Amino acid sequence: MPENDDGLEELGLSKSLTRRQVLRRTVGGFLVLYGGALPKVAAAGVPKHVHRQYKNTLKIIQWSHFVPAYDVWFDKTYTKRWGDKHDTDVQVDHIALAQLPARAQAEVAAQSGHDIFGHLSPQAGLEDQVINHKEIIQEVTRKVGKVSQVGFKSCYNPRTHKWHGFPENYVPDPIHFRKDLWHQVGLKPSTWDDVRKAAPKLKALGHPVGLGMSNELDSNMLLIALMQCYGAFIQNAHARPSINSKHTVEALKTMRDIYKNGMTNEIFAWTAASNNQGYLSGRLSLAVNAISIIRSAEDANPALAQNTSVAPIPRGPVQRLGLEHVMGVYTIWKFSKQKALAKRFIADLEVNYQGAFKNSKFYNFPAFRGAVHNYTRQLAADPHKGKYKVLDLIARKYTVNLGYPGFSNAAIDEIFNTWLVPQMFAQVAQGKMTPAEAAKAAEHEFKPIFAKWRARGKI
Amino acid sequence: MWSTLRERGISYLIVGPFAIVLAFPFYWMLVTAFKTNGDLYDLNNVPFTYHPSQAAVGEKLPFRHDHWLPFGFENATTSHVSFIFHNTNYLRWVENTAVVGGLVVAITLLFAVPAGYSLARLSGRWGQSVGVGIFLTYLVPPTLLFLPLSRVISKLGLQDRIWSLVLVYPSFTIPFATWLLMGFFRTIPAELEDAALVDGCSRLKALARVIFPISIPGILTVVIFSFSLCVNEFVYAITFVSGTKQHTISAGVPTDLIRGDVYFWQSLMAATLIPSIPLALLYNSFLDRFIAGFTGGAFR
Amino acid sequence: MAAVAEARPQSRRFRDLLEDRRFLAPALIGPAALFIVLLVGAPLVLAIYLSMTDATAGQLTGKFVWFHNFVDAWHNDNFRRALRNTIVFTLASQAIVLVGAGILAHALVRPFRGRWFLRLLILLPWAAPVAVSTIGFLWIFDSQFSVVNWTLVHDLMPGGGHFYLYRPVNWVLGGIDHLPWVHVGKIQPLNPPQWLGQPTLAMLAIIFVQAWRILPFATVIFIAGLASIPTEVHDAAKVDGATGLRKFWHVTLPLQLPIATVALLFGIVFTATDMTVVYILTSGGPFNSTHMLTTWAYQTGIVSSNLGEGAAISLYLLPVLLVVTVLMLRFARRVEVS
Repeated sequence: MPENDDGLEELGLSKSLTRRQVLRRTVGGFLVLYGGALPKVAAAGVPKHVHRQYKNTLKIIQWSHFVPAYDVWFDKTYTKRWGDKHDTDVQVDHIALAQLPARAQAEVAAQSGHDIFGHLSPQAGLEDQVINHKEIIQEVTRKVGKVSQVGFKSCYNPRTHKWHGFPENYVPDPIHFRKDLWHQVGLKPSTWDDVRKAAPKLKALGHPVGLGMSNELDSNMLLIALMQCYGAFIQNAHARPSINSKHTVEALKTMRDIYKNGMTNEIFAWTAASNNQGYLSGRLSLAVNAISIIRSAEDANPALAQNTSVAPIPRGPVQRLGLEHVMGVYTIWKFSKQKALAKRFIADLEVNYQGAFKNSKFYNFPAFRGAVHNYTRQLAADPHKGKYKVLDLIARKYTVNLGYPGFSNAAIDEIFNTWLVPQMFAQVAQGKMTPAEAAKAAEHEFKPIFAKWRARGKI
Repeated sequence: MWSTLRERGISYLIVGPFAIVLAFPFYWMLVTAFKTNGDLYDLNNVPFTYHPSQAAVGEKLPFRHDHWLPFGFENATTSHVSFIFHNTNYLRWVENTAVVGGLVVAITLLFAVPAGYSLARLSGRWGQSVGVGIFLTYLVPPTLLFLPLSRVISKLGLQDRIWSLVLVYPSFTIPFATWLLMGFFRTIPAELEDAALVDGCSRLKALARVIFPISIPGILTVVIFSFSLCVNEFVYAITFVSGTKQHTISAGVPTDLIRGDVYFWQSLMAATLIPSIPLALLYNSFLDRFIAGFTGGAFR
Repeated sequence: MAAVAEARPQSRRFRDLLEDRRFLAPALIGPAALFIVLLVGAPLVLAIYLSMTDATAGQLTGKFVWFHNFVDAWHNDNFRRALRNTIVFTLASQAIVLVGAGILAHALVRPFRGRWFLRLLILLPWAAPVAVSTIGFLWIFDSQFSVVNWTLVHDLMPGGGHFYLYRPVNWVLGGIDHLPWVHVGKIQPLNPPQWLGQPTLAMLAIIFVQAWRILPFATVIFIAGLASIPTEVHDAAKVDGATGLRKFWHVTLPLQLPIATVALLFGIVFTATDMTVVYILTSGGPFNSTHMLTTWAYQTGIVSSNLGEGAAISLYLLPVLLVVTVLMLRFARRVEVS
C-alpha cells in the first residue's frame, strides 16, 4: 500500500530492506559479538589456576583502598608471595565501602562466601556469625607485643568474652589546616575555642572552616570526637547511654556557634568526599580527615600541600581526644572451610606490617604497635619534610575507639550507622532544638537501642 | 504549506526542550571527563570550558600545543578516560554486561513468548488471574529478596559467578515480557490465525508461521526492555558477584572508581558515557524498525 | 480415509493433545510460571517468615515474634515519613512521566528533519545504566561544585555582560510566593540551594532524576501504542471530520488508555519498589527526610542488622500495590474492551 511505503521511505528505510533481512542481520550481529565474548567470560567465571596448581584456596574480600597502589601491592605482590610459601591460591576481591554490610549479610544468608572478610569498622552485630579470633590475637601478641587499646576495645566483647574481629589497622584522624590563612587571622587551631574564634574571620576571607554535619562518615567521626574533647560520650564504661550531660550541651553550643558565624548550610549536604574536594579547591581552611586530603594535594596541587599543616584534633575544655577514622577489622566466618589457613594469613600480615604501613602511605597504622619498628624515623623520612611525624603522636596518644570509654558494641554500631549524632548536631545548628532539648531527645533515641541489644545478650 | 511548517515548528518546539533536558547531563559528562583535577576542583572555573591548571601527577596533556582548539581544549587531559581502560577491568565489565544481557534476553524470550501467547489466546478466564498473578511478582522489592536468593545461589554453586545473574534476572524480565507480549498478541486479529488453522496448520505451526513474523515488533520491544532492565540492575549485581573480573558495569564502576572518600569524577563520567551512547544508538535503530513494523505490519 | 486415520492413531492423539487448549495453555505458560514461583515466590515466603521473627544480620532464622515488627515499624517516625515520601515520590514522578511521555510521543510520531537525532538524545537517560548515571547526578547536584548552581549564580554573558540567571528565576519565585500556602524563598548567590541537603529540594531532586530516567521508557511505550492504532481508525476519523484536538480527545486518547494505564502501572511499580536512585543520591538523607520504604527497609534490615524489622517494612508496600494493581488492571481491561 502506497502510504505505508511512503512511511518507510520517510523513516529512511528503503523498500528493499525487509523484516527478515533486518532480523538476520541482528541475529548475526549478536552472534558475532557474543560468540567471541561468551567463551572468554565463561572461562572467567571459573577460578583460574594460572601458573601452578595450588593445594589450597583462600578467598579474601576488602574495600578498595583509597591509595590504589596499596591494592596493587596487596593483590599482586604480598598475597602472591605468601600464597607461594603456603601452597595457596589467594584470591582478593574488592568492594565499595558502602556495600560492605550488604555483602556481609548476603554471605551469612548464603552460608558461603569469602574466608576472610575485611570490614572498615568493628562489626559487633555479626558476632554470632564469626569465630572467636582469640588465637590470632594470642599468636600476634607473642610475636610483637600487646594489642593497642584502640584495637582491644574495638574488637573484644567483655560480656561474651569473645573477640568478634581481628583489629588489623586503624587510621588516625588529624586535622588539615592552611598555615597561610590561619597566620593571616593570627590564630592556630590548637583548641576548639580557637576554631570558634577564627571561624567568622576565615569566612570573611572567603576561606571558611570545613566541619560537616551530614549523614556521612567524616561528620560522624568529627562530631563524636568533638564531644569527647568536651568530655561528652555516647556511653559510659558500663555500656549505658550517657549522652544527656552538660558536656554534650557545651559541645552542641560550640558547633552551633561555629556554624552560625563561620559556615554555610552546604555542610548539611556533604558527602565523605566533600571536605576533601573543598579543601583541594583551595577554599576550605580547615578539615578533619585522614591523610587522604594531603596525599591527594601532593599529587594534584603541591603548592597547596606546602601550605597545609597536619596536626592533632583541637583540645576541648576537658581534653584532647580523637577517634580512629576507620578501623580495618578482619573476620573469619564460622562456615569458612579454611579457618586455620585464614588465621595464619592474618597473623603473618600483622606481624610483618611494615609493607602495609609503607604501601598505604602511612594511612594504615597497625593495631599492634610493635608490628612496625621505628615509626618516627620512617615518618620523618617521607619526602614531605617530616609533616607526617605528628601522625605517630596522634596514633599513640589521641586516638581511642568508637564507644570510648566503653567497648565498641552493636548498639554503638547502630547509632553510628543511623547517623544519630550528626542529626543531633544539625538540629541544634539549624535552630530546630535547643542544645538541652537535643541532648535529651538523643538519650530518648539511644535508650531503646541499648535496651534491644542488651536483651539479645550482646552488651 | 503553512500547516506543515507550523506542524514542524510545533514539533521542534515540543521535542527540543525535552531533548535538551534529557541529554544535557550527558553533554556535561562528556565535558567533565576530560578535565584535569586542578581545573575540575576550582570553583572559579566555568564548568563547560577547559582552563589551564597545574597538571597532577599522572595527568597527560596531549593537546597542550593546539591552541586553535575551541573551549580551551588544549587544557584537557585524556588520562582520566584512559584510566578506566588501563587501571580497571572496564572492558571486562562491558563484556560481562553484554553477555548477561544477551543470555537473559534469550531466556526471557524462550519463556515469555509461549506464556504471552497462551495468556492472550488460549486461556480465557483463569488466564486473566494467572496474568495478574505473574504481574504481582513485581510488587516484592529486591532490596531484601537478595538475602534468601543468596542462599539459593550458593546452594547451586553459582556464588560470585555471572551465571548467578543469568539465573536471577529473568525473574523480573519474564513477567514484564509476558505482559508486553500478551498485549501484542491480543492486537493481532484472530482471523489471521483462524485462516491458517482452516488451511490445515496445527496451532503450533500457526504460531510459528503466521503469528511469529507479525509479532517481530513486539519481540523487538521485549528485547530492548529486557536488556535495559538487566543493564540497569544494581543490587543483585553488587551482592552476588564480588570478583572484579566478573562484575557488570553497574557493580564494577562504584567499586573501583569510588575509593573511600575519593571519587574519580572524570573517570566516572567517562564510564557512564561509554556504554550509554552505543546502547542509545541500538535502541534508536530498533525503534525505527518496530515502528515500521507496526505501520506496515498486520495491516498491510 | 478411515483406514489412514486408524493407521496412525498415536501420533494423531498427540497432535490432538497439542491442539487441545486445555493442555496447550498450561503447557506454554508452565515454564514461565514455574521459574517465577521458584525464584520469586519462595524467597517471598521466606521474607514473610523473616518479617515475623527477630532475625538479625543475615541469619535466615529467628524467634517468632508475630506482628511485633510491623507494630514497631509503624511507631517509628522515620517509617511514617518514608511511607509518605514513597507515595509522593511515586505519584509526582509518574505524573511528570505520564504527561511528558504523552506529549513527547505525539510530537515524535510525525516525521520531521532531525527526528532521528533528537530521538537519540531522548533515549540516552534510559540507555545509561541507572547506577552510574545517578552517580553523575551526585556531581551535578554537589554541595559545592554543582553545575546547576554555577549556572544560576555566575555571569553567563561572555565578556562581562552581567546576565545572572538567578535574577529572572528569583522573579518567578517571588511570584509563586504570592500564592497561598506556598513559601519558596529566593536564591541567594552567596549561598546557593543545596539540592541534596535541604529536605524539600532533595525530594525534588530525586523526583526529577526518577522522572528523567523513566521518561524515555514511557515515551517508547506510548509511541508503540500510537503506532499500533490501525490506519482505518485514522481514516474513519477523517471521514467523520474529527481533526486536531477533537480527534485527540475522542479518538486517540481513548485508544491509548489501555496502554497508558499499563505504562503508568509499570512506572508506579518500578518506582515504588526500586531503591537505586534514592540510595545513591541521598541515602535517605538529609537526616532521614528522603527515605522511601525501600531504602528505610534496607537501612533497618541491612545496615542496622535488624533483618526481621527490615523485612516487615518492605512488606508494608505489598498490600497497597496489590490493590493499586488490581484496580488499574481492571480499568485497563474495561477500556480495552470498549
